[in-house]
Amino acid sequence: MIKLENLDLDEALRYMGCKSREVADTHTLAMLEECEKLVIENSIPRYQYKVFDIEETFSGIQLKNSTLILQGSDIKNHLKDCFGIILMCATLSGKIDALIRKTQLEDMTKAVIINALASVAIEQVCDKAEKEIYAGIGDCYKTWRYSPGYGDFPIELQKDILTVLDAPRKIGLCTGSSMTLTPIKSVTAVTGLSHKPVSPKKRGCLSCNLRDTCQYRKVGNHCVQ
Amino acid sequence: MFSELLKSKNFIILDGAMGTQLQARGLKTGECPEAINVTHPDTVMEIHRSYIEAGSDIVYTNTFGANRYKLAESGYSVSELVKAGIQTAKKAAGESGVLAALDIGPIGQLMEPTGSMSFDKAYDIYKEVILAGEEADLIVFETMTDLLELKAGVLAAKENSTKPVICTMTFEENMRTFTGCSVSAMALTMQGLGVDAIGVNCSLGPVQLKDVVGELAKWTNLPIIVKPNAGLPDPSTGEYDLTPEDFAKSMANDIIPLGAVIVGGCCGTTPEYIRLLCKELEKTNPVSTKISISSAVCSPSRTVIIDQPRIIGERINPTGKKLFKEALRNNNLDYILSQGIEQVHAGAEILDVNVGLPEINEEKMMVRAIKGLQGVVDVPLQIDSTIPQVLESALRVYSGKPIVNSVNGEEQSLEAVLPLVKKYGAAVVGLTLDKNGIPKTAQGRFEIAQKIVKHANAIGIENNDIYIDCLTLTASAEQEGVIETLNALERVKKELGVKTVLGVSNISFGLPNRELVTSTFLTMALQKGLDLPIINPNVASMTGAVRAYKLLANIDKNSVEFIKAYNNAEPSKKTSSVSKDITLGYAIENGLKKEGAEITEKLLESMPPMDIINNHLIPALDKAGSDFEKGKIFLPQLIQSATVSQACFEVIKKKLTTENSSSVSKGKIVLATVKGDVHDIGKNIVKVLLENYGYTVIDLGKDVEYEEVLNAAVENSVKLVGLSALMTTTLKSMEETISLLRKHYDCKVMVGGAVLTPEYAQKIGADYYSKDAKESVDIAKKVLG
Repeated sequence: MIKLENLDLDEALRYMGCKSREVADTHTLAMLEECEKLVIENSIPRYQYKVFDIEETFSGIQLKNSTLILQGSDIKNHLKDCFGIILMCATLSGKIDALIRKTQLEDMTKAVIINALASVAIEQVCDKAEKEIYAGIGDCYKTWRYSPGYGDFPIELQKDILTVLDAPRKIGLCTGSSMTLTPIKSVTAVTGLSHKPVSPKKRGCLSCNLRDTCQYRKVGNHCVQ
Repeated sequence: MFSELLKSKNFIILDGAMGTQLQARGLKTGECPEAINVTHPDTVMEIHRSYIEAGSDIVYTNTFGANRYKLAESGYSVSELVKAGIQTAKKAAGESGVLAALDIGPIGQLMEPTGSMSFDKAYDIYKEVILAGEEADLIVFETMTDLLELKAGVLAAKENSTKPVICTMTFEENMRTFTGCSVSAMALTMQGLGVDAIGVNCSLGPVQLKDVVGELAKWTNLPIIVKPNAGLPDPSTGEYDLTPEDFAKSMANDIIPLGAVIVGGCCGTTPEYIRLLCKELEKTNPVSTKISISSAVCSPSRTVIIDQPRIIGERINPTGKKLFKEALRNNNLDYILSQGIEQVHAGAEILDVNVGLPEINEEKMMVRAIKGLQGVVDVPLQIDSTIPQVLESALRVYSGKPIVNSVNGEEQSLEAVLPLVKKYGAAVVGLTLDKNGIPKTAQGRFEIAQKIVKHANAIGIENNDIYIDCLTLTASAEQEGVIETLNALERVKKELGVKTVLGVSNISFGLPNRELVTSTFLTMALQKGLDLPIINPNVASMTGAVRAYKLLANIDKNSVEFIKAYNNAEPSKKTSSVSKDITLGYAIENGLKKEGAEITEKLLESMPPMDIINNHLIPALDKAGSDFEKGKIFLPQLIQSATVSQACFEVIKKKLTTENSSSVSKGKIVLATVKGDVHDIGKNIVKVLLENYGYTVIDLGKDVEYEEVLNAAVENSVKLVGLSALMTTTLKSMEETISLLRKHYDCKVMVGGAVLTPEYAQKIGADYYSKDAKESVDIAKKVLG
């Protein structure tokens, strides 16, 4: 069971378009700490994963002993030289959705801050989950987490990924008809496993579909560090 | 049949895992397990037979996920796989007397408001499965985590089949399901709907389920089902930690003594587990745990036991409230939801919900209000309407066990309302009046109460679920009647053995110092035995009277609740010294909400409302907007400014409503997050900003049907529609919505959302692309002025 202790407040500020604590106003900073507590209290982090061997086929990257095929040239690139993958999903669970819903009616500023903090929280959950998962996997090199919707990796795969992980049943994570993950603060991701060092390339703007209209980039900022 | 099995056997033995068995026989991860019913029926038959040989009295058909949503890409129809599944199970059972239960799991999508599955859609999906499975001996819902989804399933079963229905939900160690449903809420709700047995399955092993089963036994007299996993899985290998021997022993020692009589295994269990379980139970006798169930109502996550005075908040009611009526006419759900949240903060434990207004569609509004409220507050609701159809629609979509307000002593009312209360398993308020009006004497009201209780009992509604209202009359008009109400209440409670409810606010009508009269009357009623005072909890003296009574009557032991409510009074935040030099602009810029409202009130004394808006509010907001654009302030500050200005607007609006002056609206705008998309925070930010520039926003919410946008635009004759979408996959919905609008209505459309680009906005036919909330205001100014 993953426990969240602290959230990266700077990251949350960045999500809200604020470069650093120095330029944030005192009111927001005070709320940030209050909201951090609320987000931690209302998160029930859960995750689920499976490790697969993979093979490249005509239609994409086939997960062995499963029906799932990962399509697109970007995921193929991402998994270059990999022998297997960790398929994972994680969620903060539905209590956070309820908190955001309710807070929007009470205090929109607070809701925006909670929303940003919850996005930070789910990334931190994934980081922690990753550590736990790595501990159970033998020595090998790992890529960064690649999610449906990045590059040409189809978001339509969400439903199949969740089915393969039995996520609705195991952690209460589902998709809607438009492939939205529900509860809202959730992630699915693919991490490549390789015997050779993988390229140090980090998740960045070049693989992001939103780079043309991104509000962060316009002010020289990033959504991730 | 199921009922005979129950009578003739000490324990009913279910089967073990199906999925694990199929995987052992070569089912690939991600493959549709139900397709095997058609492709390899022998494999499924072999599994059923092995369980039957191990001693199962009931086998679950291989139809867990055989619903329209999950089978969408499988190439098979629901009917095909369900029928094949039942046929195989029946064939395996042969003449053994073993029953085939139509196994139904969750649909696989989350229910509203977290997901987008509506009650009606879920009902429909389950109905299809139930109809296809008519040959089964009974129907079982298992591994459920959402109470409303389960309710949709059970209603679909009850309304489309005569077979017994049993159900189990899946609880975590924190005694909640993934969606936060408690054990008591499951028991109260499912018992109310008339299922034949309830219990738990999956997620944990028998040892970890002890507390869950123990809690369930406190809330039900129905047969209890327990179908645990083979212990806990190893996260890396997926292997479960209990051997068949340990599992059987743990079931016999830990679970059976708690009252379980229908038992089996879930994930990780095999025929061997069932064989040893049967063997172990041969030596064991069932334990009877018959109890008297508390009078209680619930939402999925909160159960309110009526064992002491509980406050019902009365504020969600348009009677005598101009702003509330206006909100209803404008379909302004947020206003209603905010009223709910405010009352819960003030101490309401149940909320009355009345949205009756002659000129609106009450049924539609009630359903929206119930759904909306259940998404933001956790207290149980009291559905308040005089129209049976409104009551029924609300009862269907309510998640949990609600109260129906109300039935009265008239035959027509008794016949129309009580069957609904029974069918949906609600509690009911009975008003002591009939066609002759309200009897003057306590005796007269007592007799009507008696009649209501008799009728309710006759159709199976127990006293625990009957709350009699002896009706408060106005003291200024009928002073001698006050004591009659109280005496009737006392007699009803003592002699009829039901609960009592009373709306008290009427008592002081027409008198000065109403608060004093009302709270004194409330205390008198509590002393006579009032269980459910219906009050305005926002008035401190009213909530205070209930809290003080509970303390003095030795209900609030050690004054815990009282101290909690009053000892920690919030430290005063910013001292509200509206310094003379603070301007409205300064308040808005610095997020000083209270001060902003106070200054507005002062300004209203000397300035026309429109001047305040145009000369003070809007320039201040414009400055915030331009600072935001320049990067001087960022999103939270922009919204803060908007929130202050919203408070100022409220003050102006209130004043105008009391003066019946014309509205200050600069025009209406329809906003919606498009169909399929549940990310609505962006749209809501836009809404706050637009409202603070004086626009009236018709907010349709999220996941909105194309037609609904068109209808709202036409009905309100709006010039501007704003659409939001966050996902690439929902841009299509945006395009469809715009295209529908273009066909039937002439208006401007602005669009926004993370994945949109100006080029794409143009391509899908939008008039404007709005990169952020601030720009949406600029667009509104352009279109509406």
